[in-house]
Amino acid sequence: MLGNPRRVEHIMGFPISIDVRATTSPLGPAVDRAFDWLREVDARFSPFREDSEVSRLNRAELSPAELSDDFLEVLAVCRRYEERSGGAFSVRLPGRGLDPCAVVKGWAVQRAAEALMDAGARRFCVNAGGDVVAAGGPWRVGVRHPDRIDQLCAVLAVEDAAVATSGRYERGDHILDGRTGAPATGLRSITVVADTLTIADTTATAAFALGADGPEWAAAQPGCEVFAVTEGNRVFRSENLPLA
Amino acid sequence: MKKTIPVLLLTAAGFAWVWQYEPVPHTETAVVAQAGTPQPPAAGAGSQTLTGTEVAAGRHGIVQVEVVLTNGSITDVRVLRAPDTNPTERALPTLREEALTAQSADIDTVSGATMTSEAYAESLQAALDRKGS
Repeated sequence: MLGNPRRVEHIMGFPISIDVRATTSPLGPAVDRAFDWLREVDARFSPFREDSEVSRLNRAELSPAELSDDFLEVLAVCRRYEERSGGAFSVRLPGRGLDPCAVVKGWAVQRAAEALMDAGARRFCVNAGGDVVAAGGPWRVGVRHPDRIDQLCAVLAVEDAAVATSGRYERGDHILDGRTGAPATGLRSITVVADTLTIADTTATAAFALGADGPEWAAAQPGCEVFAVTEGNRVFRSENLPLA
Repeated sequence: MKKTIPVLLLTAAGFAWVWQYEPVPHTETAVVAQAGTPQPPAAGAGSQTLTGTEVAAGRHGIVQVEVVLTNGSITDVRVLRAPDTNPTERALPTLREEALTAQSADIDTVSGATMTSEAYAESLQAALDRKGS
């Protein structure tokens, strides 16, 4: 019998679960490798770790020529979304060093999911602190209610897709508008569905930073569907949002 | 360009809906009460249907809704009258209405469940485990 492991580990400050429901080969080692990769990413890209590549770059101990291919890939995503959002999304806020966390999480989890697929996983779900990669659906993904942690405000039905949500609950004003440096306002939460978590997570964060203009902006991004709750508690849904 | 139509629920005015057709952002005249806030208990238990008054929604026409209360909680909101709309335009609900349709759904996982509350996420995911697989 093929093992269908479901495991949760705490990495990068949040719980990450890997739930494999169907696979063409035993996946225990592949799931181990996925968690190893996520721990490696935390060690290499956390701005809270003195010896991470990010911290060393911020202390000018690494020159741009010495950056790893992974780091360059992350920085390229950062730049793309800084441009697309007109600067609302920013990983270089005044008074702080480079902090690419907003991109690293989705990018790292997406790559972990692709490695699971390569290892034979066919139906699985990875949930990293509320950001989800689902493969081989149908998967029913609830969207957390912004006020009530025990309630949902939407349910999405996806086959192969990533779902990311940025919200003000719990961590409060944790997303800053890069254009002003002030906490982003206008939205209570925004959920983006896209082909990859790199796109979904970064688009959700950038849209949150854009505030009231965020939902329309995100819905105009290629391949993105959007569910958002404004500060006025109005709900916006893009045209082809896969509501269950 | 996708059209969006905000809908505001005037809870204090007896569940009247006001439809507005400006694209966002715009100035709000009223907002829904804190979403998910329990409603005051209805007189007596069981199910009760309350019909809202007809409300003129500016130049757009008349809006009327009815609300079903079950044991004091809103379990349904139905639009009885609404202005004619362009077929491509669909009214967007408030958070309350959205949550009503989502609350009983069976799910595999949750997006946006947590950023910092690890205990919560673990507990929720454990609950989903028992339910899902």
